[in-house]
Amino acid sequence: MTFNYFVSFFFIVLGLFCIITRHNLFKVVIGMSVVDYGTNLLIVSIGASNKGTAPIYAAGEIVPGTWFVDPIPQALTLTSIVIGACITAMALSLVIKIYSKYGTLDTREIRRLHG
Amino acid sequence: MENFPILAIMTLFMGAFINSLVGRRSHKARVAVVFTTMAISLLLVVSMVPAVMFRGEIITYWMGGWAPEAGWAYGIGLEVDALSLFFGLIVTIAVMVSGTYSFTYMKRDDSQVNFYTLFLMLAGSVLGLVLSGDLFNIFVMVEIMTFTAVALTAFRNDTEGALEGAFKYLVVGSLGSVSILTGTILIYGCLHTLNLAQIADLAIHTRNPVMVVAFGFLFVGFCTKAFMFPFQPLAADAHAVAPASISMMISGVLTKCGVYGMIRLVYVLFQNIGQTHVQYLVTGMGCLTMFICVTMAFNQHNFKRLLAFHSISQVGYVITAIGLGTAVGLGAGLYHAINHTLFKGLLFLVAGAVQHQTGTLDLDELGGLSKKMPKTTLLFLIGAASISGIPPFNGFASKWMIYQSIFSKAVNTGNIFFLLVCIVALLTSVLTLASFVKVAQSVFFGQCAVLCRDAEECEKGMRIPMWVLAILCVVLGLFPDQFGELFLKPAAGAAMGADVYAAAMLSGKAVTSMPAIYGYIGTWSPIVWIVLLLIVTAGMTIFSVSAPIRKPEALGEGEVEDEHVLPENAKYEPFFSGEESVHSHVTGSDLFWGFKENWKKYFSFWHDWHSGIVNDYELYGVVFLAAALIYCILFI
Repeated sequence: MTFNYFVSFFFIVLGLFCIITRHNLFKVVIGMSVVDYGTNLLIVSIGASNKGTAPIYAAGEIVPGTWFVDPIPQALTLTSIVIGACITAMALSLVIKIYSKYGTLDTREIRRLHG
Repeated sequence: MENFPILAIMTLFMGAFINSLVGRRSHKARVAVVFTTMAISLLLVVSMVPAVMFRGEIITYWMGGWAPEAGWAYGIGLEVDALSLFFGLIVTIAVMVSGTYSFTYMKRDDSQVNFYTLFLMLAGSVLGLVLSGDLFNIFVMVEIMTFTAVALTAFRNDTEGALEGAFKYLVVGSLGSVSILTGTILIYGCLHTLNLAQIADLAIHTRNPVMVVAFGFLFVGFCTKAFMFPFQPLAADAHAVAPASISMMISGVLTKCGVYGMIRLVYVLFQNIGQTHVQYLVTGMGCLTMFICVTMAFNQHNFKRLLAFHSISQVGYVITAIGLGTAVGLGAGLYHAINHTLFKGLLFLVAGAVQHQTGTLDLDELGGLSKKMPKTTLLFLIGAASISGIPPFNGFASKWMIYQSIFSKAVNTGNIFFLLVCIVALLTSVLTLASFVKVAQSVFFGQCAVLCRDAEECEKGMRIPMWVLAILCVVLGLFPDQFGELFLKPAAGAAMGADVYAAAMLSGKAVTSMPAIYGYIGTWSPIVWIVLLLIVTAGMTIFSVSAPIRKPEALGEGEVEDEHVLPENAKYEPFFSGEESVHSHVTGSDLFWGFKENWKKYFSFWHDWHSGIVNDYELYGVVFLAAALIYCILFI
């Protein structure tokens, strides 16, 4: 499981690095998505268990010694994925609009608001 | 009564959907739906006031009836204590005023039905955030809030820079959202619960590095939502391009969510505000924010961008007071929070009215509006006097309380840090007044500018919401003691009593709040402050008089100067020789020229720092995140 945590934080840092260093708007949006994926992996990893099975039990079936994964992080991940998809869609639609208005995708030229 | 919180939230969301169904038909249908929705929500929140504020009850509601079993919370709960309700009131009042103003203000725009749908969703998400009792629910509400705020910022996408401001807000704002989510999930990993009350119950006994990192993440997340120091460019960009009623929402409501989150985090969830290093962190960030933002406001040429920097500067005051960790500091912070919503909302609406009537927000193009729009000018002066802290307006009362709380903290702890904070807070207030003199001069007084010749007084539909805010500004300023007794005391008491909060949620029955420990201390003496003011004024006068006056000889060579020396009475000539009068409006940029010239390096550094490139803003945010995490690991 520790490996998962490393990978997820690696993804988060990678995504942030992408947003900071890439000047193309699309790459910035990709960076945002990568940060999201890293967070989602982190959430799933926290609920996961190597020995566990799917958390589908009827009342009374659970006896001491039963191993199942925590269902709450999975529900959280689903929500988080949906939100991430919405953010990406929104960002991409803004990118399209910006391109048609500014005629460029370079962040260094899209700075009419500054100072 | 226990259904009221969920009804207040759901009304706004339902209103959004009903509006998108019937709002396309006519303007009247839209107004009817939106106004009814906002009014019902406001009434529901207000009707909770007697029970929660005055009798100290805590209202809990479990979604789907999933009440806690064996002291363990399973479902998603709403919990309304006095602190939540205090912010709920701020939110619903601001939504009501801003929505009513939009009816007239947005009349010339197309696709208004989308505007109101997004507006109501924004209102619902913010109300949901402050009334929620579940950390993941707060994250979801934060996301809806950011999402709708971004869409509304870019609503007038033909405005210069609207899309750009929205994109920056989305990208850097998502850093805050990810921070909140990561913090939430790290807490879940440690405590296996998302319920605020349960976390408050368990976190105090669980001190491990992961919890500290989670605290750092959540702190940075709420800092982003309050637009604290490295994130203030976002607020400036978003405010400048958004419609005025949305600017009011962003400054009056969205930043308050960050403030609310911060209070919940340090007072209730982790209860670590007693630690000196947490106080340094929160107060230091607030102090830094208020000073940098107020100096940034000096350089601005856009009316709303200037107001945006002032807005963040005032939020810095709130955070500074909250970070003190004393009851009077928290009360002062809450008082300034509601006052900030009122006067900043008023100023943004005035800016919107000016834009609506003249078509521009450029301070250099405006001038002399007081003759054309006298009523709006009066409203602006009330707002400006409030934000600058001039008695008897509300800004004075709350700022006084903030100075007093910082000063008493400095005296009680003997810590030089808090004394410095007190000095910076006073200085910031002076600078605020100075830059509002500049705005008043360049927009409302002086010679009438070309663009303003045909300007008319704005319509009644826009003036009435502004008057509501102005009257509230005066009322809150005139009755600070009564307001403090009725609202601030329960709210501050609720934040300080985390164990009551936890018990009310988990045991399933409402428990009366602890007796609040909020009150004024001995230094509440106007005479002392007036004497201090006189001494400082006298000192500054002596200092400025005694400063050496630069002789003209020191400037350059004698013969060069001779060419520029005019005949004896040349400078009076235009007044006697009958020349045509020229347009000679003293614009805002001229007023403090000397001050800006002396601090040129400082101002140009911060001007370049706000580069407008989204990569840079993200870099500042990530550096701040890393620094905050390292600070937390080392000291907390």
